[in-house]
Amino acid sequence: MKIKEIVNILDAEVLTGEDLLEQDIEAFAASDLLSDVLALGKDNFLLLTGLTSQQVVRTAEIAGGIGVVFVRGKAPEQEAIGLARSHHIPLLMTSKTMFEACRAITEAIISEEKK
Amino acid sequence: MTILHSREKLTLANELIYEIKVKDAMTREVIYFSEEATFREIQLAMKKNRISGVPILDEKKNIIGIVSIDNVITALDQNYVNDKVKDYMTKEVVTIPQNYSLVSAIKKFEQYKFGRLPVTENAHSHKIVGILTMGDILNRLLLNIQTIAENVEKKEDKNLQISEDLLKQAQQKPLRFEVKKADFDNAGRVASIIRNYLQKMNIDKQILRRVSIVCYEAEMNISIHSLGGYISVQIEGNNIIIIAVDYGPGIPDIEEAMKPGFTTASEQIRALGFGAGMGLPNIKKCADYLELESSMETGTILKAVIHLGG
Repeated sequence: MKIKEIVNILDAEVLTGEDLLEQDIEAFAASDLLSDVLALGKDNFLLLTGLTSQQVVRTAEIAGGIGVVFVRGKAPEQEAIGLARSHHIPLLMTSKTMFEACRAITEAIISEEKK
Repeated sequence: MTILHSREKLTLANELIYEIKVKDAMTREVIYFSEEATFREIQLAMKKNRISGVPILDEKKNIIGIVSIDNVITALDQNYVNDKVKDYMTKEVVTIPQNYSLVSAIKKFEQYKFGRLPVTENAHSHKIVGILTMGDILNRLLLNIQTIAENVEKKEDKNLQISEDLLKQAQQKPLRFEVKKADFDNAGRVASIIRNYLQKMNIDKQILRRVSIVCYEAEMNISIHSLGGYISVQIEGNNIIIIAVDYGPGIPDIEEAMKPGFTTASEQIRALGFGAGMGLPNIKKCADYLELESSMETGTILKAVIHLGG
């Protein structure tokens, strides 16, 4: 699944990285605990989180993430946007809650598998 | 404006309206007229410049009145549009000194519902040096907010650029990066630099991730738990050696600290999404070799080795 598809599924706003949405997502992480994200052990993942600090982007970048979705319509700090631009990580924002966002993505994955 | 009365944590825009001065937001090229001008002249100038009010100044640029679009409409309506404005203009003009903060300006806009405020040289002067609208304030705020992101981006780009030359030296001698106490915004800097460098050396992605995670967790540990310290990185043949040293206060019980979930981190750290007691166990998981020594007198030394593969 490409990040571009997530934009549609979550009805998300692209805050930065419009040109980076063609990347393939290999795993998902949904967490407000960055320690857990660091312990994920997978590459090329998309992170869904309720946190908004620059550490979110730092963690995603270091742990091998390729994009971040901020849930519940919470915008990240400006510092996070700067860091994301420097590391070429797209940032999305959705008004869906963490649960709704995870459910929408799961449903899309299942319907894709059925095809 | 509710924002001014809120006792909640200051938001970014809220902080900025206290920091930025009127003179940094105002328009300096003021379109103004003398009291001898007619409403018709002013109406044409308003249309041409897409403005809805002009100050009336004397020969020394002191403000003596203001003409708004409402005044012009009334003049049209009551057939004195070709008269001089001198007898009709609003003479009690609310102004703001240029060294006041935007918060005072916003309060005045709220209080008087004006579209613009003429800006004076200082609180005791009537000399006009600029004009301020809510649009000017908004532009300035947006610009300042954008600058924050841009500055972080530039700083990070610079960091990553420096890393290449530096890390070439890491093959001869250990490279040392200072890590400051409680400097969470910069924690991860070393990890990013090393990740960026190894990426260009075509190191396997999983190894790349493990190296940068060990670095990041070590940086976080130093800034969260210690008085400060440093990270040293050395590439020795096919191994990368990461040594994290801090100046105390030391880990009382290493065995306990290695247990997943054990933590002494504060609420502030937890709010950032860290301090779950996963740092050391995660370092152990990612490193091929780990050594941890701690003394309550001198501090903690962590040594991690990761094989770069190939």
